[in-house]
Parts: sequence; structure tokens; C-alpha cells
Amino acid sequence: MGKPEVKGTVTSLSSVFPPEEMQKAAKMVEGKLSEKQNEMNQLKEFIADNTSLINLVQKLPDELHHDIMVPFGKAAFFPGRLIHTNEFLVLLGESYYADRTAKQTVEILKRRGKSLMSKVDALKAEMQDLKAEASFFDSTASEVADDLVEIREYEEDNSTERVSQSGPVELESPSVAEADNKVSASEDDEYARLMSRLEELEKEELAAEDEDANANATETETDSDEDELTEAAFHRKKVEGYSSLDHNQRYLVSQPRKQLQQSKGKDPMNEEMSTTYNHQDLTNQLACTGLTAEPVTKGNYGGECEISRGRIVHQDTKMLNPPVNASVPSEKTSLKQIIHDSSRNEKPVQTPKSEFDSSKAFTGSIIEHTENLEKKLPEQKTTSSQSSDSKPSKPVSRFKMQRK
Amino acid sequence: MSSSSTALRELQRDLENKANDLSKLQKDIAKNHQVRKKYTIQLGENELVLKELDLLKEDANVYKLIGPVLVKQDLAEANANVRKRIEYISAELKRLDGSLQDLEEKQHSKREAILKVQQRIQSHQAGKAKA
Repeated sequence: MGKPEVKGTVTSLSSVFPPEEMQKAAKMVEGKLSEKQNEMNQLKEFIADNTSLINLVQKLPDELHHDIMVPFGKAAFFPGRLIHTNEFLVLLGESYYADRTAKQTVEILKRRGKSLMSKVDALKAEMQDLKAEASFFDSTASEVADDLVEIREYEEDNSTERVSQSGPVELESPSVAEADNKVSASEDDEYARLMSRLEELEKEELAAEDEDANANATETETDSDEDELTEAAFHRKKVEGYSSLDHNQRYLVSQPRKQLQQSKGKDPMNEEMSTTYNHQDLTNQLACTGLTAEPVTKGNYGGECEISRGRIVHQDTKMLNPPVNASVPSEKTSLKQIIHDSSRNEKPVQTPKSEFDSSKAFTGSIIEHTENLEKKLPEQKTTSSQSSDSKPSKPVSRFKMQRK
Repeated sequence: MSSSSTALRELQRDLENKANDLSKLQKDIAKNHQVRKKYTIQLGENELVLKELDLLKEDANVYKLIGPVLVKQDLAEANANVRKRIEYISAELKRLDGSLQDLEEKQHSKREAILKVQQRIQSHQAGKAKA
């Protein structure tokens, strides 16, 4: 495989956003913001006055007449009476007045209050926009001050061509082990697709997250990877209590499932995986290992530990007992290897999301190009083997399988 | 040399004049904006009044404040007056919009003319420097 040519541009932020102009813009936005703030304060005063007036108008008709001190001129009062306590001369606007009863006056005042509230809401929205602008300016100003530089890199088309050629070959091959190089090659090809799908999935997930009370912590595709498998298990077991979680997971499922299939081409494998996957949930949780695939999913565990615990409770009896010994280890290793592959698939996509802990196999920064991915493979193998010291046999066997 | 310098001075005078015109135009535009604002607020208020008047019963008392005097008015009359006022204000606003457009176009063309004069001045100065 030839190295892809990388073209890039390096632009210093200070050239794109000159500092003085940044400051000017920031000041302008601040000025506008303070104006809006003043208007907002005024409107709030109006609203307060309106409500107190409503209260007064409602109280007056309680008595036939009120004894009051009547203002007389600028600096005098005399005792007097307030009569006709149910008759109000209300200003309608534009120097037009109308005689109204207390109830009708209150209605008029309430309508005025509503229009004031709508004005306040509109102002709030404007202020939000201004604040967003201001924060943007501030951040770019600080970036410019730090002399940050924007770097963009582009890959040549040669690499993608190469990838597409290996693509169909990879799809045909059933064995996951063979797909090692091809997986990495096809990852480029999938990368573009991944990015666009990722955005869609993110949106869906956000929508689903609002619904879901348990609120999955992470948004990455590796979550969906795990989720897909667990979802399949759920459907089998018909755990109704987690139906909402299923919804959430389903949203995330579509792409990674395809990923898995493309890179592995094994639907039956997935089925098997799902049966043992919950078991793996348990072991992962309990063992707290730092396998490369799992660290990503571990973040997910943190968010949904209740759920996984619940899963374990349900599946404990069913899952642990039958498949315990011989079948489990082999399936587990293949499982882990598949997860590993898919996680490699997904790793390049995850660059914008820094959800890896420093304690995991991978640190946050991930390089996006095939050449680097290839370099990464040996890294991964070494780090994963280091991190999973508690289970030395399984990572080794997994890698062996990959190389086949 | 002198001819070019006088030409240069003429150009600069021209530039000043155009700059003055431009500033006048900008003031006009600002005034236009203000008047438009006022009219828009009045229009809003009148529409509110119309709404309230519609909610009144036929025999309700409506008064109009004319100076220090509160004059009793007929509901129908008040309605008609308010509607007429709304129409008048909307017509004024349209007119102002049209004039605002004109002013903006003029401003634009003035700016372009100023640019041209500036360019000529620059070329003159460049020519002078060469000579």
C-alpha cells in the first residue's frame, strides 16, 4: 500500500481574526448586550407595576367606599373618600379612555401583561444570541492571544481508491482474522461515511437521551457497538423494564451494525456474541480490565451501571450457567477481537470526542489516517496486552486469531 | 508640476464635497430610522386600542383626551377614528420605507464616486512621485 499524500494548510489564527478587530467586535457585542439588559430591566419593572395594579384593582371593590388621604397639589393631602369603587376609567392607549368595571379592568391589565411577557421572551432570545456571539469572540480572542494555529490536512484520492479495491474482497471473506489489513484499509473508505452517519446518530441519540431517564453518558459509536449486542440480548429476553433503553440503543445501532457486518460479514457471530456479551458485561464490570475495546465501552458503563447491573441480575441465572466453560472463552475472544476491530474502525471517528480516560489503553488523541492506523495496530496490541495483564491469555489469543 | 498639483487640489476638494454629502445622507438615513421607529410604536399602540374597543359593549362610555379635556365619544366614532389613524400611520411607514430605499441607493452611489476620486488622487500622486 502506498502512502497517501497529505496536503495541508497551516493558518495562524491571528491572520484570520486580527486581534484588534476581535476586541472591537467583542466590545460592540458587549455594548449591545448591556442595552438589551437595560430594556429587559425596564420591561420587568413594567410587569411588576402591572401585577401590583391588578392586585389593587381587585381589592378596591371590596368596600363601598374607602377613606383615604387625597393628594392636593404638589405637597398637600386632605382626608377624603374613594367612592364608586367599581368604576374605572381605563386608558386604552393613544389618549382613548373607557369606563370599565373592576373585573373588566383586570382583564385588560392581564392582556397587557401577556404582551409584555412576550416582549420579554423575545428580548431574552436576542440576548442569548448576543451572548453566544460574545463567547465566540472571547474564545477566539484568547486563541489568537495564545498564538494558536489552525492546521488542515487533506488526503489524496489515491488512498481511497486503494481502499475501495480492497473493500469487496474484504466483504467476501468470512474470517475476521484475514480482515486485519483490509479492515484498516476499508476504515478509510468508511471514514467519510462514518462522519456523516455519526452526526445523524448523534442527533438521534440526543433526542433519545432526553427520553431516556437513565441518560447514557457517552455518545460514541462504540457505545452503540456494545448497545447493539446488548439490545439483541434484550429482545431475546424480553426485558420490558428496559424498553426505553432499547429505544435509545436502537437509535445508535444502525451504523456500527453495518460496520461490524462489513468488517466481519458474520451475522451468526453477532447472535452468538449477544448471548455471551451480557456475561462479558458482568466480567468486565467486575474485573475492571482495561482492554482496548472495553475502555471505550467502560465510559458507557459508568453511565448505565444501574442498567447493566439490572441486566446481570436477569441474565445471571440464564447466562452464566449454561455457556460457562468451553464455549465462552472462545466466543469471548472472538467477541473481544470483533469489538477490537470495530473499535479500531470507530477510533478515527472519535477524535472529536475525548471520552477516553487516561487510565485506559488509548489516550484521547487519535490520528485519522491509514498510515497512522497501521502504526497504531502494533501499538494497540502492545498496550492492550499491557493493560489487560489480569487476562494475559485472552489478548494474546485474540491477536493470534487476527493475524491468521 | 503645478498643473498636476492644482488638479490634485481639485480632486481633493471634490473628495471633501462628496464626503460631506455622504455624511448628510447618513444623517438623513438615521432620522428616517427614528421616525420609522416612532411610527411603528404608534401603530402597535393603535392596534391594541382597536382590539380593546372591539371588546367593549355597545353602550360603554369612551372618552378621548384632548389637551386637558376628557371628551365623551361615541364607540362607533372612536372605532372609526382609530382605524383611520392606523391607515394613516401605515401609509406613512410605506412612504418612509420608499424614501429610505432612495437614500440608501444614493449613499451607495456616493460611496462609489468617492472611491473613484480617491483612486484618481492616488494615481496622480503616484504620477507625481515618479516625475
